[in-house]
Amino acid sequence: MFEGIKAMAQGLGSTFHALGQPRDTIEYPEKRREYSPRFRGKHMLAKDGDGHELCVGCGLCEAVCPAHAIRVVAAEAEDGKAVSWTNRYAVDYEVDMIRCIFCGMCEEACPTNAVRLTPFNELAASDRLEMIADKEELLHPPVRK
Amino acid sequence: MIRLTIDGQEVTVPEGTMIVDAAARLGVDVPVYCYHQALGPLGACRMCLVQVEKMPKLVTGCTTAVTEGMVVHTKGGAVEKGRKGVLEFLLINHPLDCPVCDKGGECYLQDYTFEYGPGRGRFQEPKIQKVKNGPINDLVLIDQERCVLCQRCVRFMGDYVGEEQLLLEGRGVETVVTTVDHQPATSQFTGNVIDLCPVGALLSAPYYHKGRPWNIDRHSTVCPHCPVGCSSLATTRESHIIRLEGRPVPDRDWGWLCDRGRFGYDFGYHADRIADSWVKERATSAAQATRDVAEWMQQTNAQYGPGSIGFVMGGQFTAEEAHLIKKFAHDVAQSDNVAVMRNVRGYLPAALNGTFQDLTEADTVVFVGVDPYEAVPVVHLKLRDRLRHFSQLKVLGVGPRRLTRDTMPGRDYLVASQDEAVFFARALAAAAKDGPGVQTLVDSVRDYVLPVSDADIEAFGQALLDAEHLSLLWDGENAAMAEVLAVLAGLREKPTAVLPTFGPVNWRGYEQAGIDPRYDNVEELLNKTRTGEIRMLVLWGADLTRDLPDRQLAEQALAKADYVVSAQVVPPLDMPYIDALLPVATWGEVEGTYVNMEGRLSIGAAGVQPPGQARPTRTYVANWGRLFRQDFGLDDEWDPFDSAQGDLISRAGNNHGPAQAVPRPGTRDASQEWTIIEGDWVMENGMPSEILEPRETEFVARVSPEDAARLGIGEHGGYVEAQTAGGTVMIGVQADPAIVERTLWIPRGSRHDWAQHLEGLVKLTRPEEVPSV
Ligand code: SF4
Ligand code: SF4
Ligand code: SF4
Ligand code: SF4
Ligand code: FES
Repeated sequence: MFEGIKAMAQGLGSTFHALGQPRDTIEYPEKRREYSPRFRGKHMLAKDGDGHELCVGCGLCEAVCPAHAIRVVAAEAEDGKAVSWTNRYAVDYEVDMIRCIFCGMCEEACPTNAVRLTPFNELAASDRLEMIADKEELLHPPVRK
Repeated sequence: MIRLTIDGQEVTVPEGTMIVDAAARLGVDVPVYCYHQALGPLGACRMCLVQVEKMPKLVTGCTTAVTEGMVVHTKGGAVEKGRKGVLEFLLINHPLDCPVCDKGGECYLQDYTFEYGPGRGRFQEPKIQKVKNGPINDLVLIDQERCVLCQRCVRFMGDYVGEEQLLLEGRGVETVVTTVDHQPATSQFTGNVIDLCPVGALLSAPYYHKGRPWNIDRHSTVCPHCPVGCSSLATTRESHIIRLEGRPVPDRDWGWLCDRGRFGYDFGYHADRIADSWVKERATSAAQATRDVAEWMQQTNAQYGPGSIGFVMGGQFTAEEAHLIKKFAHDVAQSDNVAVMRNVRGYLPAALNGTFQDLTEADTVVFVGVDPYEAVPVVHLKLRDRLRHFSQLKVLGVGPRRLTRDTMPGRDYLVASQDEAVFFARALAAAAKDGPGVQTLVDSVRDYVLPVSDADIEAFGQALLDAEHLSLLWDGENAAMAEVLAVLAGLREKPTAVLPTFGPVNWRGYEQAGIDPRYDNVEELLNKTRTGEIRMLVLWGADLTRDLPDRQLAEQALAKADYVVSAQVVPPLDMPYIDALLPVATWGEVEGTYVNMEGRLSIGAAGVQPPGQARPTRTYVANWGRLFRQDFGLDDEWDPFDSAQGDLISRAGNNHGPAQAVPRPGTRDASQEWTIIEGDWVMENGMPSEILEPRETEFVARVSPEDAARLGIGEHGGYVEAQTAGGTVMIGVQADPAIVERTLWIPRGSRHDWAQHLEGLVKLTRPEEVPSV
């Protein structure tokens, strides 16, 4: 019996000791963690200073992706209606966030530095389709609150 | 034979072989740009540098013929340094825009630079800027900055095709490839330069920015547009065909395509493509249409007994599909009335059917009624190839128009289509007086008047007999020619080959499937329909109104049948008579066997899904079988290759009986001022194409330049009024020097409605000018 009380006191001791220690968890979503600026999260497509898309639809990211997560459909821009900085641009650009393994190879392969992995990592959705990021979505990367 | 050593391995090759080809035999890859086996050596790019012992400098492997005991090194410091230097030079003014270049990933400049090139260039100065994405014509684009000046394209168009429409302009680093007078290239072989160009300088306009080697699939297929059936590769992406490329077959075919084939792959996506089922002019579900048709068939059979349903195969179906139709007709629909749609009356037994190999060995070629340039374009290129190697090639044309041309010079014998057989028979009778069967041939035409002198007739006959290797191309218009050709083959001890140029493209395949492809067969079937013995017509791709030479018979049969069911890809001219129109899957959507004009079997792959409700033949017959509650053995596999020798159909069985006399042609109505003649033309084969629209013309009929001048028709053609027995129609006409005076040439099976309404043509007149106020 005495043994039992001792063990309980020991246990409670650890509990009270831990209460005074700094916590490992945070109160998400009110509080968020800091990540390394090199963290690889959701993709974005960048534009240049004139507002032209950097992506020329070359499909190299599509080719290199080990998870086959990217789909690029290129087209020729109409005269005087350039979308990217050349006459070739991506009409469709999709990243399947379920397939993506966030390896960053697409970013590395891109000859124009158009596709970039942002630190954004809040990728929950209640529908699989929502997990496919289309071009519009990627051109307007979400900002973390 | 010559023995030499390449990279330490010995090889024996025929005399005159170039080092690069000898190396290829050993599997040693020597990089080349300007060299192409079909075009021969040039030595323009210096990419193929190799080291030959006892020679002071590196030599170009593509222009150096092998010699006995030669020792060649394709590796080693000197060669590597040479290659690096050449590539660095080639890249000095190259824009390095691979990410936006359509050849990226399948470009020899990329590949060789990666494999042999220097890591970086030392050239700092600004690059010279040239035209980017300029047009060669509506179908081919040029990016002059990317060009490595190998001249393959220029030499192909000039030397090989014989139509000098591309040239080099400027000097030194300013040199560019461009078109003559900067006008669009009009040749029908321009698309081949896209395949030939080793870099991204010549590009396909319809494929521009559409695909990359890693996001496309390539399916091995054959072109469905004419009986040549060129071997090709269909590029598909996301269930769309987006490109057709040539597929060279070693030792047999260079992989050339004509522009019709290369760019006409889009008929499956054309706005006219039938994608819905129509019953009695109302769109309905596929299931309902299938049920309705099955009900009609059951009803017809119940009422009129077996044999009351007629099936006619046309279009571009596979041999397997023809087999299914035949089997369904026999087992389920209880009818053996199955025929092949024909637009000419001739038939060639397989025993006489030559191969393309015969063209590469021929010393005499005779065009019987057919201009290969228009009807079977790549055969024209095959003959050009022969002409390059054998300049004495004798070319003879027999038909109602000139069939030889500047790029295929020869002699023309102008005789009416109906007189072709008489001309041949008389020529043989004059040259081989007592040959077997010869006198029988001319029995009833000895005194028939021909527009050719007797001396010429005899000379022609002599040419036929003297030829070492005779090849004939035949358009099938004059049915009696079959008899003449059989006698001719019997007379000659040396090789004689006939290549039929008539359609439908896969008629030999239908024949292999057991359907009699003779004109008599389809004629009999329609006669039975006209008399009411056959009550229901199932037209599988066949368009009677458009194709049947006997237009009256077509109309009467269609009008008489209780039900006309038509499975089509695009709306047929039969439309007014059709009770049920079924959308059916076509080339590119169904895998199966095609048999071309040389009797060679090839597989066309399925790469894409049919649109809308369109379904393959197999689906239709299986569903009907089910509705008839009859399992008719769809599973018992029939394979057309079983009865073939390798991939060629069997030529056995030339049981040609005793010769028959050539029938005497009917006399022509002398009061008729104009003669109408017909010819095959791939551009007008009835398959719509949006890509080819810029190349199409409304002025598809042709008259002689003299008549054109009289009718006031300008350079590019114009409209004239044709007064016929049935009234006046407007027709689009242009001038063609190949046509003789007072003759109107129209394309066979034209999509133009008026082409069917020219019977009893009285005269052509300039359309009335609208009087100005
Ligand atoms: S991060 Fe990796 S897996 Fe994700 S899309 Fe890019 S290449 Fe593909
Ligand atoms: S993101 Fe970069 S690599 Fe991907 S298609 Fe665009 S330009 Fe090419
Ligand atoms: S365009 Fe192409 S094929 Fe023609 S010369 Fe230039 S690189 Fe050669
Ligand atoms: S020659 Fe005939 S088969 Fe060959 S590409 Fe042209 S249309 Fe097609
Ligand atoms: S390939 Fe030999 S010089 Fe061009």
